[in-house]
Amino acid sequence: MKTYDDLAGDGGSNVIEQVVSQREKLRKRLDPIKYKISVMSGKGGVGKSSVTANMAACLASLGHKVGILDADLNGPSIGKLLNVPHSEKLQISPEGVQPAIGALGIKVMSMDMLLPNPDSPVMWNEGKDATAVWISMMESQALRELLTDTIWGELDYLLIDMPPGSDRIDNVRDLIPELAGVVEITIPSQISQHIVSKSITKSSQLGVSIIGLVENMATYVCPHCNEEGKLFEGEDVEKLSKDKKIPLLGSIPFDTRVSRQSGSGKLFFEEHSDSVTGQAIRQVVDNILKFIQNKSN
Amino acid sequence: MKFLCIPCDEQMVTQADGIMPKEKESIALKFKCNKCGHSIAMLTNKFETEFVNKLGVEAGGPSEMANTPFAMMGSTLAQGKEELKKAAPAEGDFEWTQEAKDRIQKVPFFVRGMAKKTVLSFAKERGIKVIDGALMDEVRDKVGM
Repeated sequence: MKTYDDLAGDGGSNVIEQVVSQREKLRKRLDPIKYKISVMSGKGGVGKSSVTANMAACLASLGHKVGILDADLNGPSIGKLLNVPHSEKLQISPEGVQPAIGALGIKVMSMDMLLPNPDSPVMWNEGKDATAVWISMMESQALRELLTDTIWGELDYLLIDMPPGSDRIDNVRDLIPELAGVVEITIPSQISQHIVSKSITKSSQLGVSIIGLVENMATYVCPHCNEEGKLFEGEDVEKLSKDKKIPLLGSIPFDTRVSRQSGSGKLFFEEHSDSVTGQAIRQVVDNILKFIQNKSN
Repeated sequence: MKFLCIPCDEQMVTQADGIMPKEKESIALKFKCNKCGHSIAMLTNKFETEFVNKLGVEAGGPSEMANTPFAMMGSTLAQGKEELKKAAPAEGDFEWTQEAKDRIQKVPFFVRGMAKKTVLSFAKERGIKVIDGALMDEVRDKVGM
């Protein structure tokens, strides 16, 4: 009787060829992008998306071509942060889907851009019958399509704004094995550092490079006198970076203007790059660029 | 996964037409031995279906969906922008009622292309231009598993 290897194909489905073809399409799309960086937090509510958007603004202001993939499928906020109107029509052609152009020419693709209303949640056809396994599977496929079918063009940096938690890093690592690394965002609170430390451990164990740690909302800057004060009682984030043997890329003070939608539709960094917080964002970006440069040499 | 016809010692081939699995739950695939003509069916439970779907590939070879941007999201998101839904592959001369559209979207992605092909072949044979729920029931009665 014939064995598995004696049978040439799989009977007509060509599953392996289909998977190879998917990979080739993805490669073709991602190869013109020099560096892909994942921005993670482990814990929600630490300002990851705001930091991502402002880091992108800083990179763009330095003359780099930048894109952001909003991988937070169920809580997308990048479009809003970059002032992409929800009503903007999707431009779909056989070549792919055009990303939106946000502040400073930053290219954006987000699940939010696919949904009919600003308050539409991501729901699949299965509705209430969808199991957790099914939803996870659909989200993996959605992430692949968002990466593969978006016409990113040539970019210097693609920042991937991850959802809170560390479960999607497996996906991203599979889809982008050349990932330059991960930037982990935390706030000084003990609980955030506890969870972020797990995320750091997971990335390390998966063999994903960790660019470094960013302490967000490190202090509070008084808008009147520019004095800094503590915002959270917690352990020193520097200790976490030392314990995990990863660099502390910088500490970003809290500034109420970061989350405030400016009337001009501009990002915080565009308008306040000289502020204490703006300078801290610049320092984080400089350290990321140093890491990339060292890695490339 | 490969299927072998033991009496003929020949690989069985996937039948790309003539399937209409139970919506949402099951993958039904037919394989035929081209030597003796014997056919078998592979039926999966819900968990096996989910596992296979994760590959994002289609049984019977890639359909036009493979070249459509955001094809999976366009066809599987319960709510999506109009232009996303419109980007789904055209159905030629056929018109699908909303019920038929909803039902075909509930067929697991892995075999959806084959199920669609089956419905369209059935409609073509009968000169039917509008595909509705009743026609899908008819197809199910005839070829469903």
